[in-house]
Amino acid sequence: MKTVQAKPALRDEGAKLGFRLTLPAQILVLFIAVFPLLMQLYISLTDWSPLSGLGWWSAWSLWNNFANYTDLATDARFWSALKRTAIVMIVCVPAEFLLGLALATLFADEFPGKRIFYSILLMPMMVVPAVAGYMFFMLFQSGGPVNDILSSISGFPVTIAWLSDPTLALIAVMVADIWQWTPLMFLILLAGLVGVPEDQIKAATLLGANPWQRFVTIVLPKMKTIIIIALAIRVIENFKIFDTLYIMTGGGPGVATETISVYIYKLTTQDLIWGYVAAIALAILIVLSIAAVFAMKRMARAREVPA
Amino acid sequence: MSAIHLQNLVKRFGDFTALKTMDLAIADGEFMALLGPSGCGKSTTMNMIAGMEEPTSGKILFGERDMAGVPMGRRGVGFVFQNYAIFTHMSVRQNLAYGPKMRGAPRAEIDRRVGTIAEMLQLTPLLDRKADRLSVNILQRVAIGRSAIMEPAIFLLDEPLSNVDAAFRAVMRTELKQLQRQFRQTMVYVTHDQLEAMTMADRIAVMDHGVLQQVGTPLEVYNNPANVFVARFIGAPGMNLLKGRPAESDRGLVIDLGPIGATPPLPAVIADAVRGARGDVLYGFRPEQVALVKRGQGLSLPVTFVERIGARTIVHLGQGESAVKAVFDNDVGLAIGQTAVVAPGAPSVRVFDAATGLALRAG
Repeated sequence: MKTVQAKPALRDEGAKLGFRLTLPAQILVLFIAVFPLLMQLYISLTDWSPLSGLGWWSAWSLWNNFANYTDLATDARFWSALKRTAIVMIVCVPAEFLLGLALATLFADEFPGKRIFYSILLMPMMVVPAVAGYMFFMLFQSGGPVNDILSSISGFPVTIAWLSDPTLALIAVMVADIWQWTPLMFLILLAGLVGVPEDQIKAATLLGANPWQRFVTIVLPKMKTIIIIALAIRVIENFKIFDTLYIMTGGGPGVATETISVYIYKLTTQDLIWGYVAAIALAILIVLSIAAVFAMKRMARAREVPA
Repeated sequence: MSAIHLQNLVKRFGDFTALKTMDLAIADGEFMALLGPSGCGKSTTMNMIAGMEEPTSGKILFGERDMAGVPMGRRGVGFVFQNYAIFTHMSVRQNLAYGPKMRGAPRAEIDRRVGTIAEMLQLTPLLDRKADRLSVNILQRVAIGRSAIMEPAIFLLDEPLSNVDAAFRAVMRTELKQLQRQFRQTMVYVTHDQLEAMTMADRIAVMDHGVLQQVGTPLEVYNNPANVFVARFIGAPGMNLLKGRPAESDRGLVIDLGPIGATPPLPAVIADAVRGARGDVLYGFRPEQVALVKRGQGLSLPVTFVERIGARTIVHLGQGESAVKAVFDNDVGLAIGQTAVVAPGAPSVRVFDAATGLALRAG
């Protein structure tokens, strides 16, 4: 298409005017997006905390020669929290994905009572995470319903102290996360599943593909984009796991369920070392951003193949 | 290859009857078109042959074999969908190889069969192209190739040309007919386009409202429609039908059409059948076989509209019950408001019982 080209001088004039006119908006955007980041970077290079008696702008006087970052490298509690966060993610996200996919496959067909089950299935997602936390806190008490059910199934009195045992507490926390977030996975995957062209599935059937083959060769490839989106959302969200977990265990017993978010929360509210917190947060932001860019690239590649 | 027999086939969806008792025998290697307006039951019939839907009652036989309970992947049926249903996330090669691969054929054999089919369909240079950006005639060939590689006894095609623009359809028709000659399979072709049915099919099964109206070669269906529906549906425009009453005249049996006059005497073969009928009849003749004659020798009708479409001129005559169309090879110089005197060509004249809609024929 051909457009009328303005003379260079005029175009420069136009660009200048445009820049001036959009300047307030640009400053606002900068302020919202970039300023907190820069402030975080600035604070992370100092020993500043709200109790230091200084305004954050004069934090430079507490400059500590990158001590926060060197501390971070040797902070065993940080690394174990990171590892724990990774374990939770590696267990929860695939579990949520597989359960969500199974449920979505089930709900792609018609069956009696589908609407009611559908509503029930989505409910966990609607529960406020803090409330869900108290619910699971109750469920996993040594005299709570989980043990009662186990007792009546096994016939022996079961009195497992779920939330006091380091391993079991982590499992309980992961169960709560899976309970709450499988519905989201289910919802996204169901949307992807109903978008798979029915004719192509029929064509595959007529060519002799069995249900499993159809699923692997037609359904999954067609759902690739939506699967990546669903996984990306859950990976990012799960990495930040906090509210339910904190109410259930407070990160304990000891530090047995302390994830990155819980650790940061404690450092912020109990230890009050804000400079160090800023350094941790920045490090995590960088890690998550790299992961997000990677996911986006995969997504862009997947989108080259439209359904 | 395989013959298909449909016996007393019925399909109901709840209260709606999609197909009322269909009986049809399709010969081995025959190209049969199921032709009818939308909702006539043609696609339902096809889906039942493919096994996508179970008949409510009745039988489907392939050769001697009853297909009841045979799932759709095991019927040896190739199916070409309306939109081709090509696997767009795969290459042309993967599309063609899909069937044999799913059945666990060895790799070498798959490669050989894909090679043969691709050669036959002139797809060899396109084998490694992604299937999502192919032109529609290539898609058609891939769809046919993907089914043909399974060497199905029967090929079912569900309106494969309905998404193709008109200009390209003629090319596709020719290509499809050539492919059928190549593969020599029994083909069932569902369409609402009579031109497709007339040009490609060995025989046409005309359907309406879930009822099979007539089965015959394209020319049989055109020349000797079994009833009023087929007479109106086949031909563009369809057959003219005028209501009247048989009356004896000194020149033989004619049909008294009321205000517009009486018809020329009926040909002897038809006259006998008409004499045996009771009540009103419908006098039918093809628009293409109408001659302009002198006053008193034909039907006098006012010209209501003239369509000039290049090679032909379609003249609309009369109104309401006595509306008639006439097609002339050249511009006959008629204008709206004039009165034309037309005489149907005797060979095209057919008479139908007005009450039952059935053709009145000798014997």
